Amino acid sequence: MTIKREKQKEPVNTQSYTKATFITQIVMTVVALLFVAPILIIINYSFKTKKELYLTSPLSLPSSFQTENYRKAFDKLDLSHTFVNTFFYTFVSVLILALLCGMTAWAIARCRAKFFKFCYIYFIVGILIPFQALFLPIYIIGYKMNLTNTRYGIIFMYVATGISFGVFLMNSFMTTVPLELEEAARIDGCSVFRTYFSVVMPLLKPAIATLVIMQAFQIWNDYLLASLYVSKKNLKTLTVAIQSLFSAQTSDYTTAMAAIVISVLPIAILFMSMQKYFIKGMTVGAVKG
Amino acid sequence: MEKKLEKQYFAMVFPGFVIFTIGLIIPLMLAVRYSVTSWDGMSKVKEFVGLQNYINLCKDADFRSAWWFTIKFTIGNTIIQNVLALLFAVALDSGIKAQKLYRTAFFVPCLISSIIVGFVWLKMFSNVLPEINELLGTNINFLLFGSGRTVLAGLLIANNWQWIGYWMLIYLAGLQSVPADLYEAAKVDGAGPISRFFNITIPMLAPAITICVVGITTGSLKVYDLLVASTKGGPGRASTSVIYQTYTTAINGRQYGYGSAMSVTLVLALLLVAVIQVKGLKSKEVQA
Repeated sequence: MTIKREKQKEPVNTQSYTKATFITQIVMTVVALLFVAPILIIINYSFKTKKELYLTSPLSLPSSFQTENYRKAFDKLDLSHTFVNTFFYTFVSVLILALLCGMTAWAIARCRAKFFKFCYIYFIVGILIPFQALFLPIYIIGYKMNLTNTRYGIIFMYVATGISFGVFLMNSFMTTVPLELEEAARIDGCSVFRTYFSVVMPLLKPAIATLVIMQAFQIWNDYLLASLYVSKKNLKTLTVAIQSLFSAQTSDYTTAMAAIVISVLPIAILFMSMQKYFIKGMTVGAVKG
Repeated sequence: MEKKLEKQYFAMVFPGFVIFTIGLIIPLMLAVRYSVTSWDGMSKVKEFVGLQNYINLCKDADFRSAWWFTIKFTIGNTIIQNVLALLFAVALDSGIKAQKLYRTAFFVPCLISSIIVGFVWLKMFSNVLPEINELLGTNINFLLFGSGRTVLAGLLIANNWQWIGYWMLIYLAGLQSVPADLYEAAKVDGAGPISRFFNITIPMLAPAITICVVGITTGSLKVYDLLVASTKGGPGRASTSVIYQTYTTAINGRQYGYGSAMSVTLVLALLLVAVIQVKGLKSKEVQA
């Protein structure tokens, strides 16, 4: 699929650069600058002092490069807890999802029994009903099962709410795994599990990378579930801490801006390094191929 | 032999099946069950009240206004985001230089959590943009979150800023998969650029359009995070969404039964919209 697409890209790039293209280029440059402006303004604010915030124009540059705001944000966000927590929840949830979704999707794709066809539809329901719509009973069930205010509780819920998309995504990659290899493994006497883990899973690496980045970005940015499930100070996530910082610091928001930069940076780095996989995950089903 | 294999396959599906059932399907059933009680979330007894909660919902002016806001927000997003995302994708695909740079510029906002996006636009409208008036001596009202009449427009700007790049990328991938010879053939037949766009590009993009329309609609119906750090549902109740209203009713107001009924209406709406859209859009997709 990818090879085909890259081949087709070429004629586009060799299109002649006409006057119309030039005008499009200028218009898009202006639009792109407007899109980037808020981000530049955030970064600019994060280096300003309180005095500069009140006395100078919002668009002027800070007079000196100072990192005081970052230091303050570090303390106010309780970063040594919140950052580690968010990282831990995201990392473990994504790890479990990567293991579970591949397994589940493969079994569904390969086994012809009726139950597995039902399973596929069953999991898809979760894509049609986003968990946010069910936040109330999800909170109630967590409360009843003593999952709230525990690390495993929130990880459990991230896995449960991410699994539908994961199974759907992995399922769409299953056609890339050649059946012959699996059959050969079977004839050599491999069990279903060994076939999956030693033959199929290595072939699914790009799919798993896609799954990892898509889910990591969702979980890292989640607010609703985190705000319902963890209220204890030492279990809080970054988004929850940032929200309380926002409501506490409405006038002096230079610290808040530094906090924003800190919280977006990890996911931005992950995106930059895995852009290819991210785009693949987003476009599943969108491209005929 | 076949049976033995089936058991092993079953063992692979089982853990995911159980986790998904506990985490999403049982809550779905619980919502339906609680929605016919007057439970307050604390007491042991959950008094059965039949459809009373649903009858009350129909009469509840606050709930109706929450739905009204959510519908306006959803329709606005679906139209603006689809049109602009497609336009941007076409522009980027037209052979302009440094395509990747533009792509990243449009895409980056969607990596930011909605909580942060809300706060950033709160500050943009109240502190940054009014500066433009100072510079140019104009008198444009940028305080969009300040009045019930403009709050929807402000939120649409924030939400579109965040998500246009995401959908644009999907359209871009769709555009790049359209075989170039189709365009060549149409050119030979004398079709102009506009005719080529509507007769080739749009039909070939149909699967991408389905994904984007359904994605934007469901994404907008569940809006909550964006409101928390920006408008808090205000001014007044002007930007209270269905989930926001459910949250205040159930968690803050301790009306779990009534809140569950609200959740059920949202779930039904989501399912209905998804089914209608998928059916309607799929029927238009061409089989290439």
